Amino acid sequence: MASTSSSTAVEGRERKRKRTAGGESASAAAEAQPSKWRTRREHEIYSSKLLEAIRLVRAGSSSAAAATAAAQPRSRAVREAADRALAVAARGRTRWSRAILASRRLRLQAARRARLRAPTSPCSSRHDATAAAASSAPGKGPKTPPLERKAKVLGRLVPGCRKLPFPALLAEASDYIAALEMQVRAMTALAEALSAVSSSSTTTTTNGGSSSPA
Amino acid sequence: MSSRRSSRGNISEDEINELISKLQSLLPASSRRRGSGQASTTKLLKETCSYIKSLHREVDDLSDRLSDLMSTMDHNSPGAEIIRSILRS
Repeated sequence: MASTSSSTAVEGRERKRKRTAGGESASAAAEAQPSKWRTRREHEIYSSKLLEAIRLVRAGSSSAAAATAAAQPRSRAVREAADRALAVAARGRTRWSRAILASRRLRLQAARRARLRAPTSPCSSRHDATAAAASSAPGKGPKTPPLERKAKVLGRLVPGCRKLPFPALLAEASDYIAALEMQVRAMTALAEALSAVSSSSTTTTTNGGSSSPA
Repeated sequence: MSSRRSSRGNISEDEINELISKLQSLLPASSRRRGSGQASTTKLLKETCSYIKSLHREVDDLSDRLSDLMSTMDHNSPGAEIIRSILRS
């Protein structure tokens, strides 16, 4: 199987564009094509990463102090863990994935530094200043063409793509959308499986000893 | 990467059109309209933005759901093993 995949790597990539569920082992040769997010292999990779990340969140939330967590402790942590797993699954080939991983690391460092220093964290104020500057820098000129405005909105939605030129922004957005779709599919499957498991376990506990023959 | 080439000033129109058509094929709404050659780029971008927002919302809802489910299966580590085997098959 390895020889065929290496020789037909180019064809495999073309074929993957037409076929949706490839599941081929040529994923190593695949570039950052949006279609790669539809392969079964990526789905499996992401699902196991997601499970690991959620386990970590669960362990973290049970042991760590509740004061460190925000108002919505677990769902936001789950969302960030899922995003981080998605970014890792992208294998660093896209800008949005690198931005997700970088921003998370920065945020962790900033939070740690804030805790070490005074409670009034200067880092957060700096973040606010830069955020305010970034939002006011483009300037809401009435002459901004609607295309550019839409492109800016898109740049804000895709992480790490605010200052990207238009074609690169489009490419990142395509990959991001495909990745998000896979994320939704994987999380839905996981939620369905978890709810099935939990519901079955609760029914067995409530029945309790129903296995005894009457 | 091709992005470096295009950001160098000479952004070929063909590349942009190709990217736009690829984006259009990803969007769920525009896949309905067959043979829609020239969907306005502005409309396309707007649909892209709203689609990404809706995907974000879905992910948020799912993570809410997962965090609720996580609390129920706290002491149910065999459940996680089962789930992983289900996901793998």
